[in-house]
Amino acid sequence: MRNALLINYAYCTGCHTCEVACQKEKGLGPEQFGIKLTQIGPDQIEERKWQYEFVPVPTDRCDRCVERTESGKQPSCVKHCQAGCMYAGPLNDLVPLMADGKYALFT
Amino acid sequence: MTGQKQSSDSGGKEVKAIKNATATAHVKCEVDENGRPITADDPSGRKWTWEEDGYTVFRGNARTAPGCHDNCGVLMYVKDGKLVKVEGDTENPYNQGRLCLRCLTVPDVIYHPDRILHPMKRAREDRGKDAWERITWEEAFDLCEAGLREIQRKYGPEALYVACGTGRDVILYENIFKALMGTPNSGMAFFPGQSCYLPRTFSTNLKGGALFISDYSQYFADRYDHPGWMPPEYVLVWGNNPVVANSDGSLGHWIVECMKRGSKLVTIDPKLTWCAAHSEYWLQVRPGTDTALALAIGHVIVDEGLYDHEFVENWTFGFEDYAASVAEWTPERAAAICEIDEDLIWSVARAIGKAECWTLQWGVALDHTSEGFYTGMAAYDLVGLTGMFDHPGGMVAGLAPFNCGIGWMPSFEDMAWIPQDPNMKPPITYENLVGLNMMGMADSTAILEGMERNDPYSIKAVWFFATNPITNEGARPDRILKVLQEVSEFNVVQDLWMTPTAMACCDVFLPVATYPERVGVAGHQPYLTGSITQAIEPLGEVKSDNEIVVEMGRRFHGEEVCPWKTDEEYYDFLLANCGSGWTYKQLRERTWAVPKVEYYRYKTGKLRADGQPGFNTVTGMYEFTPVALGSMGVPTTATFVEPVESPVSSPELFEQYPLILTTGARNWGFFHSEGRQIPHLRRIQPMPHCRLHPNDAKKYGIEDGDWIVIENTHGSCRQIAEVTPRIKEGVVSADHGWWFPERGADDGTYFGVMECNINKLLSTTPGTVGLGNSFKSQLCRVSKYEG
Repeated sequence: MRNALLINYAYCTGCHTCEVACQKEKGLGPEQFGIKLTQIGPDQIEERKWQYEFVPVPTDRCDRCVERTESGKQPSCVKHCQAGCMYAGPLNDLVPLMADGKYALFT
Repeated sequence: MTGQKQSSDSGGKEVKAIKNATATAHVKCEVDENGRPITADDPSGRKWTWEEDGYTVFRGNARTAPGCHDNCGVLMYVKDGKLVKVEGDTENPYNQGRLCLRCLTVPDVIYHPDRILHPMKRAREDRGKDAWERITWEEAFDLCEAGLREIQRKYGPEALYVACGTGRDVILYENIFKALMGTPNSGMAFFPGQSCYLPRTFSTNLKGGALFISDYSQYFADRYDHPGWMPPEYVLVWGNNPVVANSDGSLGHWIVECMKRGSKLVTIDPKLTWCAAHSEYWLQVRPGTDTALALAIGHVIVDEGLYDHEFVENWTFGFEDYAASVAEWTPERAAAICEIDEDLIWSVARAIGKAECWTLQWGVALDHTSEGFYTGMAAYDLVGLTGMFDHPGGMVAGLAPFNCGIGWMPSFEDMAWIPQDPNMKPPITYENLVGLNMMGMADSTAILEGMERNDPYSIKAVWFFATNPITNEGARPDRILKVLQEVSEFNVVQDLWMTPTAMACCDVFLPVATYPERVGVAGHQPYLTGSITQAIEPLGEVKSDNEIVVEMGRRFHGEEVCPWKTDEEYYDFLLANCGSGWTYKQLRERTWAVPKVEYYRYKTGKLRADGQPGFNTVTGMYEFTPVALGSMGVPTTATFVEPVESPVSSPELFEQYPLILTTGARNWGFFHSEGRQIPHLRRIQPMPHCRLHPNDAKKYGIEDGDWIVIENTHGSCRQIAEVTPRIKEGVVSADHGWWFPERGADDGTYFGVMECNINKLLSTTPGTVGLGNSFKSQLCRVSKYEG
């Protein structure tokens, strides 16, 4: 089974680095994505509470950087993530990481 | 030692304090028995180059071009002499392997077909036309020398304006270049009030004798694990969007790491940023009212006795005057001015007043009102009140590491190698700009207006250093364009691209190298110093910026003053001249070096050159009321002054222009006017946008995605409306720095630079001391573009 990708999107700032890191690693054009940022909000949930968040979603072009992983490196998006909120690995290794935060898990 | 009892010992000390306010404290670094600096990092086993999977990898620091305020560790992967990719360096404590999209696309910058790779000239009468002619470097230097000598002969060397930009290491060498050229006139190009950090660095140096910067553990090689470091309990994100902007040499995402470790945010911003949405308190202030807010927070902290009594009593000067100055600034009063709920001010004041540690993550918005100098002072006094200086998770003094940190000039004596004419005229300025004048700086509005009036002593030649002022920071680019085209007799630009400024105005184009193409010294920041490591041969005939500086110096002063044949020799000289203890190659070998930084250095005498405890100020104290300001005849405490144009200060104007215009917010992928040519960056934001609240959009019949006209008494432009509840109602936030390189050079519009240029709507009026200008609090109106 291929590696899973875990995003703690409580800390994703929407910086687009994962998208570009992937595009450069895989030689993709600017409109081709191995991972794509999605946005929630801005939504005013109550008087002083807003939801304005981002979740990067891997596409079918994503192979979890299998070549990099085999040589002991992290996938390019995970390595360069500015917020350090992405994790890649076997599903069973990632599940225990989900403690405090808001997680999206991609298998 | 009670600060308030100390008298102000005036005279030479004050002048020295003012001069020091533009530099950092000169505190000698500690060296080992071999004369090498003592560092906090262990370089053993660290390689600067190696072979890996068919690539040669070069390890270095990314600085610069392209422009950036940061200093990230990079690994450059080279195959067959070509830079194939750039990755973050996991071992470098600065970025710990992370790297943003702008460095990830550096190969696209280097090999871009539009990049200029050869020197060029153009006849003066052809300015604005695509009539460039390729020339040799010899001819280019001959032209530059002849052009400047002619200016010197006719008008004197002072008629040259060394105009610099931001975000490249080379701008820090501006002082060297202007000294070599014998002119006192330099600064950020046509940027009124020097409104980026300088208002704050000047006031904070007067008050605290150093530049104190938020402590996100970046001062330590072991970062978040460093014993004694603690995450700020609160990060006060004030007037910047740090995760996008990476303001002033702080990597914005360090804040996110602190949030993971428990830090809470307070955000003061008219726009809902990611930080604002993730804050415990978000204060959506009216632009230009930050001073009132700072005074009210200070009011509560004083009134409720939440200040650090020990620090205030033992280490500060002027507290009683400060307390008196905030007495009338009740939260009720400030809340009405700032248009926020009063309870938020009480809450924030109590939060930071009671916090074990908090830090001021302030940004350029504080400089971007005419009285920005005082805004910075008012915010900074909150740090003083709570004693957060050199405090873990507070504000740590940014001293030049190994003496070779910020701008290469830890003291003025280090420029002694450049012969100076004692009869050099003073810089071009206005008499009333007392702060700027005491710093010995030119005023860009005086320069612009002097050129417009054709004053006997005015600018007749401009040398552009990493700047594109008619596109980016120049206020009133329409006026700047006119004087550059019609008044200035000789214009030279050092750049990578044919920018609108180069295309419209310049006579000689000197193409420069990016960081993988050259050697250099990075880390003009207080946290580390390191090498810019060359990974590939320069493309075409490009030269490093400093090679050009040295050759021009040699042309005017001969080999005795500028003997260096290579950049490496020049950096060896600079490193020796500032007493760092390294050669360039020694630095490259280790790639980075982290200084040993301790907390509470004001208690141990390590903030002052004389080794005495205290701050590097006139009184030795943190000065709530800077003695030097009193000697300039200006107020020594901050007070709130409405922006020159505002609903309150100019109600009649407000009737015609009922929206507040704020500009200059950063966007992902771009660095000011840079990045528009890079497809993977441009994709993220293809066109200039202006953010508008849904209620305002409805009022003016505008829908999301419409082209709109933004106008005021100064000028107008058009951008695309982004209708979003993120922006405060009654405020519009417009993009800056836009041009369209894809248009080609010959349609007469200079890449469309004036069409969407929000800077046409700015004023050019610095405030009381000459520092700060209104970039974020103009009035305007909007309408659907019917073009």
